[in-house]
Amino acid sequence: MEKNFLKNLKFNSGFVALLFFMVSIQTMAQGDRTITGVVKSQEDQELIPGVSVLVKGTTRGSVTDIDGQFSLEVSNGEVLVASFIGYETKEVAVKSGMDKVEILLNSSFSDLSEVVVVGYGTQKKSDLTGAVGSVSSEALQERPSASLNQSLSGRIQGVNVSVNSGRPGGRANIRIRGNTSVSIANDPLYVIDGVIIHAAGLANGSTPIDYINPNDIASVEVLKDASATAIYGARGANGVILVTTKRGSNTGGVITFDTDLSVGVLPKKIPLLNAEEFLMVEDIAYQNAQKYDPAGWDNGIYRDPALKRTNPLLFDGNGNPLHDTDWQDESFRQAVTQNYQLGLTGGNEKDSYGIYVNHRNEEGLMRGSYLKRYAGRFVFDSQIKDWVKVGGTLSYTEQKESQIDPLGAGGIIAMRQVLEALPIIPVKYDDGRWAGNEDYPGMEGGNNPLHVVEDRVYIVNTQTMLGNLYANFNLAEGLELRSVLATNIINQRVDYYGGRMLNYIARNQRGDAYVDNDRLNSWQFENYLTYNKQIDENQSLNALLGISWQHVDRFNSRARSQDFQDDYFKFNNLGAGANVFQTLSGTSAYGLNSYFGRFNYNLMEKYLVTFTGRIDGSSKFGEANRYAVFPSAAIAWRLSEEDFLKDSRTISNLKIRSSYGVTGNSEIPAYQALAGMGNYTVIFNNSRSIGLGINRLSNPDLRWEKTFQTDIGLELGMFNNRLTFELDLYRKLTEDMLLNAPVPSSSGYTQVTQNIGSMENKGIEFALNSVNVVKNNFKWDTHFNISRNKNTVLELTGGADIFSGSTIIREGEPVSSFFGFVHQGTWDLDEADEAAQYLKLPGDIKYEDVNGDGAINDNDRVVIGQGIPKGFGTLMNTFQYKNFELMVDLQFMYGNDVLWRSKHSAEDRQGIANSFRTVLNAWTPENQNTNIAELRPLTAGYNTFNDSDRAQEGSFLRGRNLLFAYTFEPDLIQRINLNRLRAFVSVQNFFLSTKYQGYDPEVSTSGSPFDQGVDLYAYPKPRVFMLGLNIAL
Amino acid sequence: MKKEIIKYSRVMLIGILMITAWSCNEFLEETDQSNFTLENYFTRPEHATSVVNSIYESLRPVKASGFGGGPWMMLEFATGLANTELGQAQNSLFVRNLINNSDNDYGQTYWTSSYRGIANANLAIEKIPEIDMDNAAQNKLLGEARFFRAYYYFNLIRIFGNIPLITTSIDLTSPELYPEPASTEAVYNQIVADLEVAENSGLPWRDVSGRVSMGAVKSLLSSVYLTMAGYPMQGGSQYYQLAAEKANDVIQSGVFGLFDSYEKLHSVEDKNLGEHIFMTQYAAFTVPSSWQVSIIPYNRGISAYSAETGGIFANQEFVESFEDGDKRAEEKEFFYTSYSLESDRTTTMELGDYYIWKHFDEEAQLNTTSSGLNWPLYRYAEILLTYAEASNEASGPTAEAYEAVNLVRRRANLPGLSGLSQQEFREAVWRERWVELCFENKTWYDMVRLRKAFNVNTLEFEDYVGHTFSYGPTLKERELLFPIPTAEIRNNDKLTQNTGY
Repeated sequence: MEKNFLKNLKFNSGFVALLFFMVSIQTMAQGDRTITGVVKSQEDQELIPGVSVLVKGTTRGSVTDIDGQFSLEVSNGEVLVASFIGYETKEVAVKSGMDKVEILLNSSFSDLSEVVVVGYGTQKKSDLTGAVGSVSSEALQERPSASLNQSLSGRIQGVNVSVNSGRPGGRANIRIRGNTSVSIANDPLYVIDGVIIHAAGLANGSTPIDYINPNDIASVEVLKDASATAIYGARGANGVILVTTKRGSNTGGVITFDTDLSVGVLPKKIPLLNAEEFLMVEDIAYQNAQKYDPAGWDNGIYRDPALKRTNPLLFDGNGNPLHDTDWQDESFRQAVTQNYQLGLTGGNEKDSYGIYVNHRNEEGLMRGSYLKRYAGRFVFDSQIKDWVKVGGTLSYTEQKESQIDPLGAGGIIAMRQVLEALPIIPVKYDDGRWAGNEDYPGMEGGNNPLHVVEDRVYIVNTQTMLGNLYANFNLAEGLELRSVLATNIINQRVDYYGGRMLNYIARNQRGDAYVDNDRLNSWQFENYLTYNKQIDENQSLNALLGISWQHVDRFNSRARSQDFQDDYFKFNNLGAGANVFQTLSGTSAYGLNSYFGRFNYNLMEKYLVTFTGRIDGSSKFGEANRYAVFPSAAIAWRLSEEDFLKDSRTISNLKIRSSYGVTGNSEIPAYQALAGMGNYTVIFNNSRSIGLGINRLSNPDLRWEKTFQTDIGLELGMFNNRLTFELDLYRKLTEDMLLNAPVPSSSGYTQVTQNIGSMENKGIEFALNSVNVVKNNFKWDTHFNISRNKNTVLELTGGADIFSGSTIIREGEPVSSFFGFVHQGTWDLDEADEAAQYLKLPGDIKYEDVNGDGAINDNDRVVIGQGIPKGFGTLMNTFQYKNFELMVDLQFMYGNDVLWRSKHSAEDRQGIANSFRTVLNAWTPENQNTNIAELRPLTAGYNTFNDSDRAQEGSFLRGRNLLFAYTFEPDLIQRINLNRLRAFVSVQNFFLSTKYQGYDPEVSTSGSPFDQGVDLYAYPKPRVFMLGLNIAL
Repeated sequence: MKKEIIKYSRVMLIGILMITAWSCNEFLEETDQSNFTLENYFTRPEHATSVVNSIYESLRPVKASGFGGGPWMMLEFATGLANTELGQAQNSLFVRNLINNSDNDYGQTYWTSSYRGIANANLAIEKIPEIDMDNAAQNKLLGEARFFRAYYYFNLIRIFGNIPLITTSIDLTSPELYPEPASTEAVYNQIVADLEVAENSGLPWRDVSGRVSMGAVKSLLSSVYLTMAGYPMQGGSQYYQLAAEKANDVIQSGVFGLFDSYEKLHSVEDKNLGEHIFMTQYAAFTVPSSWQVSIIPYNRGISAYSAETGGIFANQEFVESFEDGDKRAEEKEFFYTSYSLESDRTTTMELGDYYIWKHFDEEAQLNTTSSGLNWPLYRYAEILLTYAEASNEASGPTAEAYEAVNLVRRRANLPGLSGLSQQEFREAVWRERWVELCFENKTWYDMVRLRKAFNVNTLEFEDYVGHTFSYGPTLKERELLFPIPTAEIRNNDKLTQNTGY
């Protein structure tokens, strides 16, 4: 590990050298005269001491004295930057003849003149009529992570981010105001600098947003209600995430360098049997075989396990184990992650450019897993004429991920073998051979986890290009035309190899290799007019009208072969496999043509009205339903501008807003409206022949799924917005739900994509921001948010249940309801007669006979838990003292269950692989009050179901981030030519408080859309110790 | 002037951008380049072959086997003559313990794959006549499609009873999308009608490539008539007579004959040859069959396969009920009780139970782990036994009937039958069927058409309803049929669940 670490550091020292080179070439500049000034608070005109005043782009600076006074060397045209804790940073240009300056600072309590990005434009926060949340890059920087979704966790109420895997990249699942759809995507729409990202399912559960460098992000806005999302029409129903990336500088050259270095460790071990306990369990199980399988016992099927403990590599002469391996210790490591982001920007008010480069090298906690990213981005903006501005972005990301946790896998995978590798085997024998469970007779012969990691290779190589060019034409006073041409290209190649020695993986195939290629091209062309008009002193309006085309095409192929002479080739020489598999390829394409508009009207800054609409047409839908209209309307009333509140000293802002509108979801695969035929493979003469037969039922009426959303919001600011509240109530009703609706299979078809069904989400979101203390260089902020969402499936095709993964979708229940048997413990000795009725013995698991028919079968299954929480939120406290900052970020979730499916193989079955240590609590005549059946060999019969014993309470409180940062004094760092130097240390996931017994209750290992909370061999989340630097010059 | 130009050019610009909006209606037209649609297919003779090929695929899903068991095991566990070590295969256990219910995936697979095959057959029967092609080839392909429609309906009617009868291709607006159940009689009439067409389609007696042959058509028809003679149609001797005639056609063709050893029943070299009349086709490495992992004991280390699931093996009492001297009860004829270890092929392990040898592929188990073994759907031994049973029912035990059953018995080293009454002969043939055709998905069908079960302790045939399995559970009226899959009942309110489920 150390060696690798050093190697990586050496490699990355190039970045550092470059940085120092840049520092050294910057020369000291001197001003030509002295200016004196005073800094005051805008609100109460009080003098502020201790304010740092810098000349922008230079190393000259000063700090105000006790009377708020300062003096500095300046030249004309230079810019003074004054900054102080609790106040907004202010810039003042030095003009000729100016020798005295007064700088007024605004307190940095929530500022309503702040501008937020909305679809196809920006708006003042005070003018918003919809529910929009935003996150700044500063906030994102506090918890650097590999993907945007991970960084968004806990930032905005109503946005539920579940980081479901501890692997690099994290596989975050994001839901805005609940699930709106059963059969199609519930992911929000991502729009990056105006480019709509095609919602594509990529390899192993990843999506295009996972391949965007989060370090490039300047701000993120989340559009939640219909007023905000309707401008995205047919794709707005799941909410919209608008990402604005960093641009060039308009005040001269700026270089920024941000880096973080971290070490992740396993925060918690699951208790497993050690060598002695494992052998003891096997012995007890053997003894009990006579009770559970008397006939087999008589036939001599069962043999005393002590007799097979003869392998000299594993046992001494007395049959005692030689090894006692802790596979969690062996498999998890101190995972080192490095991240470097360099920004080179320059320009002036008219023209600016920026170059950003990034390298991230993240090791996974589990050996063998990693993520490497190289990203580069170029941006430019230029006001080439007073009536036209052009600009563009070109970014390229290369990402390579080694993933050891295949989605939905229940077979032998590395994470399973961490739990199930025998403690009595070593990693390798002295002669260098791998040890495996098969070395001990009678075992299910999975290989040990380190062997699996080494020989089962799954590498995802993704290249993403995202580019856009825009031109803004100023056509007349207040009238602007913006034209944007954009493209997004994703090339993803998955390389897979399963080694020749890996049981259940590829041993029977003598090596199995494939290469998948997947290419997605998307282009987009949009033109829209914006008109701003101040009608008179009381009225203003803002209007938008636009048109958009988007086209997406995709091509994928797979080549696969098996039966290799050697593991050497892996996936690099498919021709070396003797058994060539059927080669596959496929293509699809769709187009969207849309018209959109928005109208904002503002009366006396008190009454705000917004109408939004979009007409979308898509090639995916039936000819009769190609186009649909998505309208919305919203009103807001700013009570605080009314005379009766205007002069209130307590209430500084009070707004009530309400919206209603329709948005859509169209993320079905292309061609679902057409009657497609499919390939059939048949054998004649011992070789392959192909048939073409029915595959897809045509549905010419196929149309959009529509979500009707009502939102009522209240925004309250008190004490000059030092204390702010935001409360939203909403109801989302999804109708014409696109369902892969089952049809009677007597037709030959099993399902057809149909618009049937409806679903409801109701919820409440609350956020509070408070500056508790601001005094004597000390500031204490609190941010708290909580969201509750209640999902109910209202209607399905003919009322039929749909089984989706481990969950059931049933009318009247929320999606993500776990379905299974009711586990009532074990049958006691005195219940022997009753047990016999179910063909059970005392010591067997007792299930509730729900329908009382005297048999335990599928008819006794009920809803046993909910994977989606009732509520979730964040409590974040930030303390600043002078240049020190301490942040404590807590995440909580409640009312959710986790279905711990790992129990199937690690608890319900014993003696064929290692087990959870809980099996020591199995039923015995002396220990009848237990959930675990009496130990016995598997062939003697046992029960294993998804049951209420597996569905565990999953509420938790997590210490998401503990951050301590220090920002160096400007006048100190100016001596080494820096403008900003901030250093921080942080611990992410610093504690986790939960009743859940697995690694982490924020989990899903299934690719099935509603299997949130299903834990089948989950990859644990590390506790991350991080050290970072932010530098600007 | 300059200002004017700028102004006009701006207006032009907007104009151009906006006008393009209305000039591209075809923008939203996309064709699926990876797949044909029904509308643009069926234009060439190759398309006729291709659609018929697709019907064959539906034979395979019911044979898929693994850690979850396999749908075909449903028909074996329902006989009370099979056992399992695979605790996680709940579907097998529910059937075996007679607590089955309509959520069972095995039944779902039978239902769905059979109707998928029927839908493709309907499409073929509808569209092939429209294709301009060689007449003889066209008739043969139509014969294959008819055979399959009959074959799949024959399975469905026996397993589920109250099933819809669909003979046209369906779209979303068809009333047949939500069909009523058909009468049993209507389904059998359709089966017979289809097979009569297939009989006249010019198919060859044998097709070694694995396609449908005249042998297959006649064999299926004999089996259909035999069933129609019994429950639930109770057609009686007239149908026994027909069954005997069709079986006799196969015998008289002279194309088929019994293998001289049982080994050939599961040898890859003898696929589609000799005794085999019609089989589900597999090829090693290309489309291998998957039941090898199910017919070996659970994790005993005897196989090259990593997965040794113990999915299904014979009840000890059943094998031990075979007549004394029956070769088929001997080691590695129909069953095996010991095998060498994968780690050391010179060491033999006693397994303690009777595992199924008649589907065992030694090459795959020892070396390749990819089995090209076929599954026998009709083989000559069954035709002989059908002939013996049917002709006995129609006209008592004739010399030909004795010869037919004794051919099967002589191969098992058993003495020939002679001098039996009609009733004695009847039961002797039944018993022969139970043994000869065990674990080939035949026995349960025989049980329900006869409403008889074999008592392995008394060695007597007794009534199906009320028969108690050797390990406890007792057959009830409801077990004459399997439950219609839950999803099918829910998605089509015109169906009603079979009584008792």
